[in-house]
Amino acid sequence: MSPTKAAVRGGTPRTTRSSLVNQFAGYSAAMARAPTPAPATFPSAGSLINGQFRVEIARPLPGAGGGLPAFAVTDVRDGQTGLMAVQVRRHLPVRDQALQILSGVSVDGLLTPLAYGAAPAQGGEEAGFLICHAPPGPALSATLRVWPEAELLTLLLRPIARVLDQLAQRGLSHRGIRLDNVFRAGLGHPVTLGCAWATPPAALQPAVAEPPYVAICRPGSRGDGTVADDVYALGVLMLTLALGRAPLAGVDEAEIIRQKLDQGSHAVLLGEQRVGHFVGDLLRGMLAEDPEHRPPPSLLLDPATARSRRTAARPPQRAPRPIEVGNVVCWHARMLANALATQPELGLRALKTGAIGQWLRRSLGDGALAVRLDEQLGFRAAGNTPGVRGEGARGDGANGEGGGETGAEAGGENNLSLMRAVATLDQLAPMCWNGLNLWPDAIGTTLAEAMQDPAAPANAEIAGRVAGLVGGEAQTAWARLRPDRADSKRLRMDVRQVQALLHLPGAVGGLARMTYQLNPLLPCMGAGLDGRWVVRLGDLMLALEATARRDRALARPISAGIAAFIAARGDRGLEPLVSRLGDLTGTADPLAQLRLLAQMQARYHPKPLPALGAWIAERVETLLGKWHSRPRRAELRPQLRELAASGQLSALLALLDDPQAHRSDDDEVQQAARDLARIDAALAMLAAGGPARGEQARRLGQEVAAGLGLSALALMLVIAAFG
Amino acid sequence: MAKPPAIRVAPSAARTIATAGGGRSNMLMWMQGLLCGGLVALLPPTALLLGALLGPALLALCLDGQPGKPVARGVLLCSLAACVTPVRVLWGAGQTMAASVALASNPNTLGTAWSAAAAGWLLAELIPLGVRMVLETLSLAQAARLRTVRAALAAEWGLDGAGEPPSPPG
Repeated sequence: MSPTKAAVRGGTPRTTRSSLVNQFAGYSAAMARAPTPAPATFPSAGSLINGQFRVEIARPLPGAGGGLPAFAVTDVRDGQTGLMAVQVRRHLPVRDQALQILSGVSVDGLLTPLAYGAAPAQGGEEAGFLICHAPPGPALSATLRVWPEAELLTLLLRPIARVLDQLAQRGLSHRGIRLDNVFRAGLGHPVTLGCAWATPPAALQPAVAEPPYVAICRPGSRGDGTVADDVYALGVLMLTLALGRAPLAGVDEAEIIRQKLDQGSHAVLLGEQRVGHFVGDLLRGMLAEDPEHRPPPSLLLDPATARSRRTAARPPQRAPRPIEVGNVVCWHARMLANALATQPELGLRALKTGAIGQWLRRSLGDGALAVRLDEQLGFRAAGNTPGVRGEGARGDGANGEGGGETGAEAGGENNLSLMRAVATLDQLAPMCWNGLNLWPDAIGTTLAEAMQDPAAPANAEIAGRVAGLVGGEAQTAWARLRPDRADSKRLRMDVRQVQALLHLPGAVGGLARMTYQLNPLLPCMGAGLDGRWVVRLGDLMLALEATARRDRALARPISAGIAAFIAARGDRGLEPLVSRLGDLTGTADPLAQLRLLAQMQARYHPKPLPALGAWIAERVETLLGKWHSRPRRAELRPQLRELAASGQLSALLALLDDPQAHRSDDDEVQQAARDLARIDAALAMLAAGGPARGEQARRLGQEVAAGLGLSALALMLVIAAFG
Repeated sequence: MAKPPAIRVAPSAARTIATAGGGRSNMLMWMQGLLCGGLVALLPPTALLLGALLGPALLALCLDGQPGKPVARGVLLCSLAACVTPVRVLWGAGQTMAASVALASNPNTLGTAWSAAAAGWLLAELIPLGVRMVLETLSLAQAARLRTVRAALAAEWGLDGAGEPPSPPG
C-alpha cells in the first residue's frame, strides 16, 4: 500500500512524491506538535504504554510498519518526536528476547524497540503495540528503481552489514530484511532496517527473501535462525535493487521454494538476469544454500574481500532418472527430502517399499547415503506391515500404521522415521514432522499461531503434531543427525523441560500452558476477555473485573485458557492454586476460584475488585455450605456480602477459608452428631422402657405398701407400749 | 432388647442348689409351724384370737403366688397392726380363753382387724399404680426435654437428615 493511498484512506491531505522524502520523521514530528485529541472512546490516561507513549490511532503511518499497521506516537513524558507504534498481531507474538537485548540500545541504521504494551486500537478493542523510532523515510518498495553498484555497496550493503554485525555480536538476527521493511531518508542517505521485533522472526518474509529451508515453514515456525539468513535476505534485496524489480514476481511461493531447492537459490533468483560482476560475485556467496557458505556481516563490511571469498559449494548430484513422490519429480536428494517433508504419507510409503533406497543406490549412485538412510530407518521385517524403529516416540497418530502396535505409537514412530529420513537426505532441512516443518526454537510460536482459532481443525491438527513432536523428543533425534549444526545436549534439556510442562496434570500443564510458557509476551487468549490485550497478570485482574462487571451470569471468571496463562506467567506459588481449580469444564468451584483470585489480587493488583466480589457474593450460599454450623453461616453471611461489595478478595477468602475455624467446625459437628446419637438412644430407651417401668412401679409400690404396713405396726406397738 | 446369656448349670449343681433352696424353705416352714405350734401350746387364747383376727392375712398368704408374697406381706403387716390392741386387751384380761373368744367374736375387733387387712390389700394394689403413673410422667417429661435438645442440635448443625427421633413413650 502506498503512503498516498493510505493517506487518502485515512482522510489526511494527499501528499506529493517529493514530500514523501523524510516523510515519516517529518510527519511524526508535526503530529507530535499538533495536539490531536484522542477519540472519546479511548481514555488517554489509561492508554499510555509504559506510562509514557500515547498511540495516536487516528494518525496511521502507512508503510512504516513493514507490513504491520503503524501509528504515530506521542511521548507525553519526554516529548520525543519521530516515534511510531507498530500494531502486533495477536497470534504472532513479539520477540521477547530481542526486546530484552535491545532495551535501551541504539543502533545506527536500525529501528530498535523502545517499549511494548497494550493500547486501544481501531474498533474499540485493545491491541499490542511495539514502540520504536519511526523510519526516516519511505520504504524502498515505494521508490523502487535500479540502483547503481556504488550506491548498492555504500548505502545499502555496508550500513546493513554494520547493523547485522552489531546484532550478531548481541546474539540476535534481524529476519525482516525485505523491500518494504528497509527505509531511506532520501537520495544519498544510507538505508535503515525496519522494525522486525513485532512478529516472530521472519514471519512476514516472502518466500523469495528467505532460504528455501526457512520459507518452507509456516510464518510462526521459522525460528530465530542466524545472521546468515539475514545475509541471504540482504542478498535478495541487493538483487532486487540491482535489477530494479523484484525477482520471481508473480510466482507462487511453493513454486519458488521448489525451484530454489531444485536449481539453487542463486540460479533461480538471477536466472538470465544480468547484474554487475562485482555484485554478481557477492550474490553468489550471499545466496548460498548452506548458511556456513555465506559471508558473515563483518566480511561484508569490506565488499572487495567478501567478493574474493569463494566457498566451493557442490551442486547437488543429479540422478539420470528421477524418482516421483506423489506429484513431485525428484532428480536429487535435496528435492527428495522436500518431497518427503511435504507429502509425508506418500513419502513414508515410498520409504517402506524400499523404492527410495533403491533409487539412491541405482540411479543416484550414492550408496553411502542409502546405507545411512537404512541405518536411520532400520525397517523391521514384520511381514507386509513394516514398522519403523524409533525412540519410543509418542505421536499424534496421523500416520498410524503397523502390525501389533497401537495406531498412535506406530504413527509417532513413522513420523520420527520420516523426520530422520529427511534430515539424512538433506542436512539443511528443518524438522519435518508429519507434514509440519519447523525449526526447534519455533515450537512456541508455532503453537501460538495455532491458537489463533483452536477449534479450527487445521490448527488443532498442528497443535497435535507439535505435542507429538515434543512427546517423542524429536528435536533431540533431529539434532543428533546434524551434530555440527545443532547442540543436541542443550536441545535435549530444553525438550525435557517442555515435556514436563506438557505432562503436568490439569490446567497447569498441557499445550496451552506450554504455549504461554514458550511465548512470554503472548497475550492471554482465554475466553471472556472481550478482546482485551492481556500480557501481565495485573492487566488480567482488570480484564477479569471488567468481564465480571459485564456478565453477572458468568460461569467462572477463570477459564481453562486463563488458568494456563496464570500458571505460565505467575510465580510458582500460584501453580498449586491453579491445580486446585479442578475440572474447568463442569460446574465451577467458587472457593477454588476465589483462592486464586485473592492471591492474584494480593500479588499483582492490590486494588478493590467489586465486580469479582459480586460474582463471589452470588455464590455465597455455596461457599457457606462448607460450614456446618448454621448460626455461624448466618453470622458470616452479612460479613461476606459486605466484603464482597468492597472488592477485598483476600479478606473474603480469610473469612471463608480459615483452617482453624473449619477444623473447629468439623470437630463440633462430629460432637453434635455424637450427642444426637446419644439423645436418640435415650429416646429409644424411653420408648421401649414401658414394661420395665411397669415392673419397677409394681415392686416399688408393693414395697411402699409393705413399708406403710410396717409403719402402722410399729406405730401401734409404740402406742401399746407407751399408751 | 438383647436376651441375657443363658447360664448352663451342671445337673449335680442344680440339684444341690434346689436342695439348698428347698431345705431353707422347708426349715422356714418348720420354724413357722414350730412357732405356731408353740404358740398354740403355750398361749392358746392368744393363738385363738390371732387366728381369728389374722384369718384374711393367712388366706392372703395362701393365695399370693408372687415371689416374696408382697400382697400378703402388706395384708399381714396391716392386720398385725390391728391385732396389737386386742392382744393387749387379752393379756390385760388375764389371757383367758373366754376373753379370747369374746374378743374374737366382737364384731368391732374383728371388723377392725379385717378392715386393716383389706386396707393392706388395697395399698398393695393401688400404690404400684400410683408409682407407675409418676414414673410415666417423669419419662414423658424427660423425652420432651430430650426432643427439644435434639431439635436445637439438628437445627444448629444441619443434621436434620440424621434419622428421625424415636416415637415418644406411650
